[in-house]
Amino acid sequence: MKAALEIEDVSVYYGKRRALERVSVRVGEGEIVTLLGANGAGKSTVLRAVSGLVRPTGGRIVYAGRDITRWPADAIVAAGIGHVPEGRDIFPEFTVLDNLLVGGHTVARRELAGRLESAFELFPLLRERRRQPAGTLSGGEQQMLAMGRALVARPRLLLLDEPSLGLAPMLTREIFRVIRRINQSGVSVLLVEQNARRALGVAHRGYVLETGRLVVSGASRDLLEDQRVQTAYLGLRPPTEGAREGG
Amino acid sequence: MSTATLVHVVVSGLATGSIYALMALALVIIYNATRTLNFAQGDMLMVSTFAGWAAHRAWELPLIVTMLVAVAAAALLALVIERVIIRRSIAATHWDVLIITVGLSLMLRSAAGLVWTHEDQAFPSFFGDRPITLGPVKLAPVSLGIIGGSLALMLCLYGLFTHTRVGRAMRAVAQNQRGARLMGISVERVYSLSWVLAAAVGAIAGVLVAPVTFLSTKMGIVVINGFTAAVIGGFGSMPGAVAGGMLLGVIENLAPLYLPSGIRYSVPFLILVAILLVRPAGLFGRIEQRKV
Ligand SMILES: Nc1ncnc2c1ncn2[C@@H]1O[C@H](COP(=O)(O)OP(=O)(O)O)[C@@H](O)[C@H]1O
Ligand SMILES: [Mg+2]
Repeated sequence: MKAALEIEDVSVYYGKRRALERVSVRVGEGEIVTLLGANGAGKSTVLRAVSGLVRPTGGRIVYAGRDITRWPADAIVAAGIGHVPEGRDIFPEFTVLDNLLVGGHTVARRELAGRLESAFELFPLLRERRRQPAGTLSGGEQQMLAMGRALVARPRLLLLDEPSLGLAPMLTREIFRVIRRINQSGVSVLLVEQNARRALGVAHRGYVLETGRLVVSGASRDLLEDQRVQTAYLGLRPPTEGAREGG
Repeated sequence: MSTATLVHVVVSGLATGSIYALMALALVIIYNATRTLNFAQGDMLMVSTFAGWAAHRAWELPLIVTMLVAVAAAALLALVIERVIIRRSIAATHWDVLIITVGLSLMLRSAAGLVWTHEDQAFPSFFGDRPITLGPVKLAPVSLGIIGGSLALMLCLYGLFTHTRVGRAMRAVAQNQRGARLMGISVERVYSLSWVLAAAVGAIAGVLVAPVTFLSTKMGIVVINGFTAAVIGGFGSMPGAVAGGMLLGVIENLAPLYLPSGIRYSVPFLILVAILLVRPAGLFGRIEQRKV
């Protein structure tokens, strides 16, 4: 499979503090790939390195055959990478509609109306709320807005950082349903999630990060069976220990 | 006091206030994009007005071209200051950058004195001298001209910020820089643009006001009134900057009628203190929702 994104041996520092050490992740075209790991493992940092918000000290990032490692963030967006960040970063004083219009900053004027329409189709709630200031939306609505806003630019690769964080189960299901739909329309997805079971349910493959290093990777099916993953992220006890404790 | 006098004083107050409002808008435009308080805003106004005046004298330009020269000079000056000085201190605290702009203000003032003159100079006006008479009320054309010109400029700014892509991008940067970056906005370009736009607004204000106040290396001090106006309106709010400017101008002109005449020059400070005591968020202030 052709690669949409190749992260090769990327290291990132925040000041003197190392956040990533020689991390390599590959997202094939049309794939959903998930990054799992505990809080502080470096998942968000991987996404930030891809979208140009932080600069790697080593390694390279190749998107659609082009080395984008040193590109400014705005050029990366224009090249077709959408990033829905942790914390969503919506514009609270803008209406929902204005947020979406800013999402279309790189889009040709004549295409804008159609793009808005497809965002509304994906999230009908945004259409109802389009005149409402985004700061007054609930957490789930803000998440939909952040995703809709990124999609207005029609990215080829979508980076999603914990889209289900803090959402009620019903909204979480809705968000994951939309992720699948987006992917079916041909968009490659790199998904960071706390909810490992759901993430592996939707993703084709996954990687596990621990304190800035990759420790396991593989097909979702295999990761679901992997003992380390089960213990650390799926809340299952290793069978032997479980048996001992039970006995 | 007659109603006619009162109307006259209020109208000149609104004219003064228009200039304060433009200065306040310039400060707010830069502040919203970069979180920098540009103390040199007034001296940038002064230098660009001088540049227009010099071109006018050298080539006997029509006044409208003089204004365009002032705007062009302002844009160039702002671009150089932003790219060469401010952008480099991007990692510094807001306080440090404020001090840099204070230094810049002093430099611009002495440079203008060296290049041109420290003497006050007459500046040509778009508007005639003959008062416009409306019944018992006599109004100076220049006051009405300043008010009209400023309102027209404010309308243009309103259109820019609400109806254009670049204006919306500037407001997006004001709310959330990282969010703006992720939408493909070049935040650096918005920084430059904000400086250029603010300087252009200042240059127009300078050309409008110079016929009344004379062209002088000291005219940059209007930055204090602009700052006060912006604080009255709630720093960061553009409608607030306009309302604050108008209010300040009118109060400054009315105060000497009721209080000792020297009070005029203390008005901005008195109002600043009063606002900070009574309503720190200003007239149009709102809860700060921004991430710093
Ligand atoms: N802006 C920052 N400055 C300094 N350290 C940071 C910053 N952002 C993240 N870190 C640190 O880098 C590490 C990885 O963070 P992050 O990528 O956010 O992890 P995750 O998304 O997996 O929770 C953590 O130890 C975190 O404390
Ligand atoms: Mg994170």
